[in-house]
Amino acid sequence: MKRLTIIAAVAAAFAATGAYAQSGPIKIGVVTPLTGTYAGIGQQVKWGIEMAVKEINDKGGILGRKVETIYEDEEANPNVAVQKAEKLFQVSKVDFLTGTVNSGSTLAVGQVAERNARLAATTVSFSDAITGDKCSPNMFRVNAKAGMQSAALAEWMVKEKPNASVYYLGPDYEMGRSTVAAFKAAAEAKGAKSVGEVYAPLDNKDYSPFFGQIRAARPQVLYTSVAGNDTVRFLSQLSEFGLAKQMQIVGAAGSVTAQNMGAIGKAAEGYVTGAAYSGEIDTPANKKFVADFKAAWKADPDLYGVDSYGVMYFYKAAAEKAGTTDTDKLRTAMRGLEWQTPQGKKTMRAGDHQAIQDMYAVKVVNGKFQIISKVPGEAAVGADTCTKF
Amino acid sequence: MAEAAILRNAVEATERIARGGRNLLAGIFVAIALAFAVFAGMTGDTFFFRLATEALIFAGLALSVDLLLGYTGLLSLGQALFFGFGAYVSGLVLKNVAPSFWAAIGITLAATLLVGTIAGIISIRARGVYFALITFGLAQVAFKVVFNTREIGGSDGIIGIPQIRAEFGLFSVDTQSPAGFFLLTLAFMMLLYAGCAYLVQTPAGRLLVAIRTNESRVPFLGYSPWRAKLFAFVAAAVVAALSGSLYPMLRGLVSPELLAFQISGNAVIMVVIGGVGTLAGAFYGSAILTMLKSVIGTFTEYHLIVIGALFMLSVIFFPKGLAGYALPRLERWVARRRGRA
Repeated sequence: MKRLTIIAAVAAAFAATGAYAQSGPIKIGVVTPLTGTYAGIGQQVKWGIEMAVKEINDKGGILGRKVETIYEDEEANPNVAVQKAEKLFQVSKVDFLTGTVNSGSTLAVGQVAERNARLAATTVSFSDAITGDKCSPNMFRVNAKAGMQSAALAEWMVKEKPNASVYYLGPDYEMGRSTVAAFKAAAEAKGAKSVGEVYAPLDNKDYSPFFGQIRAARPQVLYTSVAGNDTVRFLSQLSEFGLAKQMQIVGAAGSVTAQNMGAIGKAAEGYVTGAAYSGEIDTPANKKFVADFKAAWKADPDLYGVDSYGVMYFYKAAAEKAGTTDTDKLRTAMRGLEWQTPQGKKTMRAGDHQAIQDMYAVKVVNGKFQIISKVPGEAAVGADTCTKF
Repeated sequence: MAEAAILRNAVEATERIARGGRNLLAGIFVAIALAFAVFAGMTGDTFFFRLATEALIFAGLALSVDLLLGYTGLLSLGQALFFGFGAYVSGLVLKNVAPSFWAAIGITLAATLLVGTIAGIISIRARGVYFALITFGLAQVAFKVVFNTREIGGSDGIIGIPQIRAEFGLFSVDTQSPAGFFLLTLAFMMLLYAGCAYLVQTPAGRLLVAIRTNESRVPFLGYSPWRAKLFAFVAAAVVAALSGSLYPMLRGLVSPELLAFQISGNAVIMVVIGGVGTLAGAFYGSAILTMLKSVIGTFTEYHLIVIGALFMLSVIFFPKGLAGYALPRLERWVARRRGRA
């Protein structure tokens, strides 16, 4: 039935060119990967948004209008994402777009939003470029960027181990090298000493050849940005060789996750990373969110679920502040907007459309991420480098 | 002597009819496309115009696959290499050198002649399944290199490729005008089609068919299969790259996924649905697959399963593809008309 109304809307929309409705339901387009490698993230995005939309509609919607969502599978492919985004803007006439996961898709969709004079937000992509040198006046980011995770971790590290000597081991491809470079810059700015770096091939089976170099450099801290099963092998072997005891192991947010923590087992204990969210955040708002999420979907919310939940409240707050869904007025309202999420208060920085939020350093204790320190958002977010608007 | 002349006339008559059927099929496609343009233009649509333009662009890629598969008997599983190459060259030229349609097309053409020749020399050493594997491997290598090269955008690709006006002396076409760019792409693709259709009826084209039929016998006729295959490979690379060069003009971006196997695989599926060895079938295959992906994707997240099932059904019930099914009927019609005239 819902599809039929969409088709009817298409027919009606042919007549009215350009004009977007200011009555009837507010339509939110969600372009997210529902198939393929990133389908798991797309699932969290969908759960978070659905839950927020239900809550908002139960309380009367936004500006007295119900909220409606339309999903499109972007297959984590920018070429598919632009086509689907265009369909949502042109055919379904959505008021707002969100959901993209990989940064290529987010950048591409931002450009589509610009050319269609609509707004979009990402809740997942953490590439610094999205709100940095490739920022777009029509794209907002409500989640923390990679630089903020590095900053939170670096902040904790220098407090715990001042002037620490750090060794870096990353996966040998573009993203692996850029995460290492980002953390290295953040750590050195705070006085850490770099004593070496090495890159292992993706899907590497044996990390022992690298251990000699690491041992010789005698680092106090070892930073890694390998991911998935590579982390399982790396940390397990590090622990078997007895090196894990000699240094503090820290890493990127995606290195040790709920997915591979079971396989790493005891070797993950003590691992520290920078994070924008933990289910353990001890506030009434977060406790209620986690309980509701579990009740609704029989699964724990992760970072992507909570940020996708939050983006709907971001849109609601902006639309209510602007009193309209008109693109230009909405953009003005979004700039500098403060809104509440389960992670606490967030502020949308006007200069680069990056949300500022408190960041955490979390440590693996008994197979769970425990919050060990908190870094205020202002300290973590870094300078505004966007020059496009 | 007289017998040879009769035989020759009979063969030529059959070929004329086959050519007539093929061109009629392409003509029908153009008619459908123009009817669509009139309808979409009247309703003031943007999305379907641009989706149809994308279908035409991918039809050009499928056309290049058919040139190799249908006429030379070479299955390329890496044709996206040249499509993506064309898209990247065109995108980089438009963004960094000059926002000019002709500069983008010209530089893409020149660069592809070079890259296509090198890739061709590597690929055509092998036959059959080994050729397919080498093309697949080359495309995967190119994909990984582009994916990891930060200077050309790495995994994020390149965004912000400017919108341009294509100048044609008397008039110009804005690439962001949905109807204008659709018609430009249609004309461009028909030129590529005409080029391929002309090519396969030249002596060089006949040699390709001879290679497909029995490569070992070709040297006994005094021809070098190696040279002919290289020629076909480079021609197909040029067709694919020129099609790809229109992609950034339409979407304003390129990304490494344009070189991925998904694109090569889709092109083969388009050719199989449309009809192998028909050239015009590539256009029908692309139109059908692009529309199906867009429509079914909106209805269900299991769109890949639905499209896979439809593909299997079409292979079972239309083993020669849509054009392969329609062509004999069209040819009979052409023959009857010729007979009357």
